[in-house]
Amino acid sequence: MEFTLKIERYDPDTDQGRLQEFTVDAPETATLLDVLDVVKDTVDGSVTYRKSCRMAVCGSCGMRMDGAAVLACKTPMAPLAEEGRVPVISPMGNLPVIKDLVVDMDPFWAKFKAVKPWLEEDDRPPVKEWRVQQEELDRIMKEALCIQCGCCVSECNSMEADPDFLGPAALAKAQRFVGDARDRDRSERLRALNGPHGVWDCTRCYFCNQRCPKGVDPRDAIAKLGAEIYSEGMLSDKGARHAQVFDMSTRATGYLLETALVPYTDPLKAMDVKFALNLARAGKVPNPLKPHRAKKLDEVRKLHKLLKTQEAAARDERRAGVSVDREEPAE
Amino acid sequence: MKSSYAYYPGCLASLSQKELDTSTRAIAEKMGAELVEIPGFTCCGAGDVHEARPEYYLHLNARILGQAEQLGQETLLTICNVCTLNLRQADLKLKADADLRERVNKNLRDVGAASYEGGVEVRHLLWEIAEGEGYEKLKQIAQKPLTGVKIAPFYGCQILRPSKMLGFEDPDRPQSLERIIEACGAEPVDYPSKIKCCGFPIVLAREEVALGELIQPLAEAKQAGADAMVTPCPLCHLSLDAWQGKASREADMEFDLPIFHLAQLVGAAAGLTYDDLLFKRHVTKTYPATDKIYAAGD
Repeated sequence: MEFTLKIERYDPDTDQGRLQEFTVDAPETATLLDVLDVVKDTVDGSVTYRKSCRMAVCGSCGMRMDGAAVLACKTPMAPLAEEGRVPVISPMGNLPVIKDLVVDMDPFWAKFKAVKPWLEEDDRPPVKEWRVQQEELDRIMKEALCIQCGCCVSECNSMEADPDFLGPAALAKAQRFVGDARDRDRSERLRALNGPHGVWDCTRCYFCNQRCPKGVDPRDAIAKLGAEIYSEGMLSDKGARHAQVFDMSTRATGYLLETALVPYTDPLKAMDVKFALNLARAGKVPNPLKPHRAKKLDEVRKLHKLLKTQEAAARDERRAGVSVDREEPAE
Repeated sequence: MKSSYAYYPGCLASLSQKELDTSTRAIAEKMGAELVEIPGFTCCGAGDVHEARPEYYLHLNARILGQAEQLGQETLLTICNVCTLNLRQADLKLKADADLRERVNKNLRDVGAASYEGGVEVRHLLWEIAEGEGYEKLKQIAQKPLTGVKIAPFYGCQILRPSKMLGFEDPDRPQSLERIIEACGAEPVDYPSKIKCCGFPIVLAREEVALGELIQPLAEAKQAGADAMVTPCPLCHLSLDAWQGKASREADMEFDLPIFHLAQLVGAAAGLTYDDLLFKRHVTKTYPATDKIYAAGD
């Protein structure tokens, strides 16, 4: 079958970029990686990309096809060829390009390292092996599936605006350890993530969930971290306080208390009189003294209270569950 | 398009973004669709309760779905991306897991609220008028084509991604807004970041990051020659409209780009007036574009 694609070439020696079109023959079952291999083997040996396992396990061949990050080895090409589409293959986003489709993964690994991607034990080694209950493993199973390909990071909208944001891959890895029943560093981990460039920098664009080739759903992992931080009552970050306004205002009126949102999240912003006046002139500042109240509010208030009790019970149960299976070493 | 819906305006359209609720009701009337009020509906919790208290979020949304079900309506109509994802996510979760549904329903019954048996589908207004019978009706009511007006579609995130929860169209190559713009007689303007984030969820907690995101679509749409932008989400609207001045100062560029709600675009093409659609309730003035619209047919 005939495949045509355009490859974004970048030569670091001349700092020149260009788009180069290739047409090659490959079997109908060919993936993007197979097609690139044919290009490299038969047309132009200088085309540069990373690859290794060819089976979506090693995470080496992340790149963009028509602007969307994919694993080349997991992307079948026949459907595109049949449509007559000529895809543009380019390097992943949010990482510096080294050559052609190869990006510098150092910034990616630095963020990984920053979340301490290892199990922290206390100084009493267990006498025998840990027995982790299936449900405890299930809690972190999705995050444990990450192959560190970088497809989520490539598309992260927050990271585009703030290159220092820890980002979806590192935060999903953090949740893999925060949620691990054996880890002893939970509180410290949460404290470290509850600040600038951490959990609350996620803009919820859901590109990471959309692109992840392994179903890790990094955005969901970030939300789990947010829930852990919130349940600990750690409200120092504006992001956590923003969430608290929604939580409390559903109980107070059933709706979002828009007028509480700014002063409670960020009192300094509430001083931005010019901005507030612009909103008020357009009729966008509801009367704070006469908040809109939902009907049947008592149902929601009872629900709010009931769930608080159930959440606390579930938390206690989980805490109790993690202290098992550790024996003091014999004298 | 159905003849009736359980109508969920959500918080913003009930409060600061009232022009969206008003315009939605006006076009629904034109299209012959009855919007049935859900008595006692609340906030869906937005991304915030969804993140901070996932169990409470699930119950809040199950309660709304249960209320819609009690009305005997098959479809709950949303007009906000965040409400759409929140309600759909809860709905799919509850439909897929009978044990979970029973546990949630027991709690709902215990507080005297309506339980949910899984008989409702959550659909955004955009999806209802972008294809099939709804699209035909849209073309019928669009009697005042917005000829010569260039409109940049801005989708926002949570009507496209994650597509396994939303799934109306290709999240990377959506065309629903373009089809609607065309049906309204206007000209869709293409630009790369129409599927990216407006920054709204973090605009209070991380304003610098949010503005960095917001500048992109505004600058690209402006450069592509747009007279106005249209969005199906009142949160994107607030970001693009109310924070546009700050984005403009941050980027050192004059955007002056009017931002329309989806229902306002349709309403204008259906002959509803500037006052009917409450264009005056925008922070960024709409008149360069609205003058063009209202001059075209007069």
